[in-house]
Amino acid sequence: MKKIIYLFMLGILMACSNKPQPINYGNDNCDFCEMTIVSKAFAAQAVSQKGKQYKYDAIECMVNHQLQQDYNMAVYLVANFEQPGVMIDVKTAGFVINDSIKSPMGGNLAAFKKESDVVNKGGEGIFSWEELQSNFLNNEPVITSY
Amino acid sequence: MCRFFLFIIFVFASVVSRAQEIEVCKTCEVKTIQAAVDMARDGDILKIKSGIYKEHDISIIDKSISIIGEGLPVIDAQMKGTALSIRAENFSVEGLKIINVGRSHTSDFAGILVSNSKNFELKNNRLDKVFFGILLERASEGIILGNKITSNAKSQSTSGNGVHIWKSEKITVKNNQVIGLRDGIYLEFVNNSEVIDNLCKDNLRYGLHFMFSDHDLYKGNVFENNGAGVAVMYSKFIDMHNNKFRKNWGSASYGLLLKEINDSELRNNIFEDNTIAISADNTNRINYIENNFRNNGYAVRIRGAVYDNNFQRNNFLYNSFDIAYTGKLNNNKFSNNYWSGYSGYDLDKNGIGDVPFRPVSLFSYLVNKTPEAIVLLRSTFIDLLDFSEKVSPIFTPANLIDDQPLMKRIQW
Repeated sequence: MKKIIYLFMLGILMACSNKPQPINYGNDNCDFCEMTIVSKAFAAQAVSQKGKQYKYDAIECMVNHQLQQDYNMAVYLVANFEQPGVMIDVKTAGFVINDSIKSPMGGNLAAFKKESDVVNKGGEGIFSWEELQSNFLNNEPVITSY
Repeated sequence: MCRFFLFIIFVFASVVSRAQEIEVCKTCEVKTIQAAVDMARDGDILKIKSGIYKEHDISIIDKSISIIGEGLPVIDAQMKGTALSIRAENFSVEGLKIINVGRSHTSDFAGILVSNSKNFELKNNRLDKVFFGILLERASEGIILGNKITSNAKSQSTSGNGVHIWKSEKITVKNNQVIGLRDGIYLEFVNNSEVIDNLCKDNLRYGLHFMFSDHDLYKGNVFENNGAGVAVMYSKFIDMHNNKFRKNWGSASYGLLLKEINDSELRNNIFEDNTIAISADNTNRINYIENNFRNNGYAVRIRGAVYDNNFQRNNFLYNSFDIAYTGKLNNNKFSNNYWSGYSGYDLDKNGIGDVPFRPVSLFSYLVNKTPEAIVLLRSTFIDLLDFSEKVSPIFTPANLIDDQPLMKRIQW
């Protein structure tokens, strides 16, 4: 009997997992701007403490959503520009803002692995996750949502 | 001295006026298009005879030439990148068939790429199995006319847009067919441009998509069976006339998605068989005049922060919900519309109903809050609820009424 109760509790705990669900490209809509998510090189996603899934078509959407709603998420993932479709944790990512990058929401923003040459090269327009957020806070946001 | 100058002018004039014709075919002297382009000078005409040309990254730089395909010659890019890449002024490309453009996650390969160019015409080309079809970057005063662009975006892991225009102005996109791409026609940072009489069908995401584009017009287009018909986002001064939005059907599908758009007008459009005909979010000063909404799930779904929208003389015909509304009325107006659900009377026979019509039913309010409640649609209990709400509105905005509903359908 006890075993069954343990199993049941385990089941409940599993149901609350913060594991991110894979993005269904071409079908899922962005939780911030409502556009359909199609580009594997720019997508982003987050999972809240309670396990609610948020998906975004662009990293700029995730940052703006985060700054406006002030939610505290358990997981933040962004697409690795060099390996489209592979999601990496924001802590292991470096962010690049450059006019040559055409991200879906006009932010010219993409994420790379920290070890990547693009990030290590240094220079202007390269940010860590924390720097990226403060950069968005300081600049007037291009897009808003209510 | 004077004679010498005259001679110089004469020589110069004869060089300029001698527009050469260069023929390209398998048995001609010139066998590849790139070779012909390299030979050509300003004003020359390149006649490409029918046949298959296995070439990619053909580049035309600073040459004002006309490329004319005779008998639909095929440029096969063999999945290796862009087919035709142009940076020039005063040129035209006509009658080519371009197939098998390469795909990539990070580079935008296109059938025809036009960058930093001015005054050009892309006419009657056929593009098939392309990644991006026609891609314009920093271009102006161009005409894209009568092209047919097809691809298989739905079965691909990466897909591009049919006509993609970025940071450009004064572009006319007319009479094109775009079938089976990601977005049919996409305008990002494009001002003073026109999109006229195009057909956008079976595209993965949007038929037509505006981002950060102002002072544009689209009219006479048909948008059918796309992920969503048209999305107009973060733009202002957009005129939308005489378009047809049809069969955009699915759980998150729209005929027209308006998001953060200001000072625009929708006139004489037809919305048929869409899950949500218009979804408006954050739109200000929009006039909706003489549009037909027929057989949609929702005709108009108003979301937050919508101010000064004016609905006048529209026909709302047999939609499951005419209006769904979030929040207060916010200075939006509904007047002189025809509502097929109106059951009032007209005793003074002036064509205007004597009792006002309430387009937001209680049930649409409920469904907006709890989408799952939709299973109760058409139940007697819901009809009863709707009726009681009509008599004494509690949940729906009390002043959201059409106080002059028309008795007869508006002909426009």
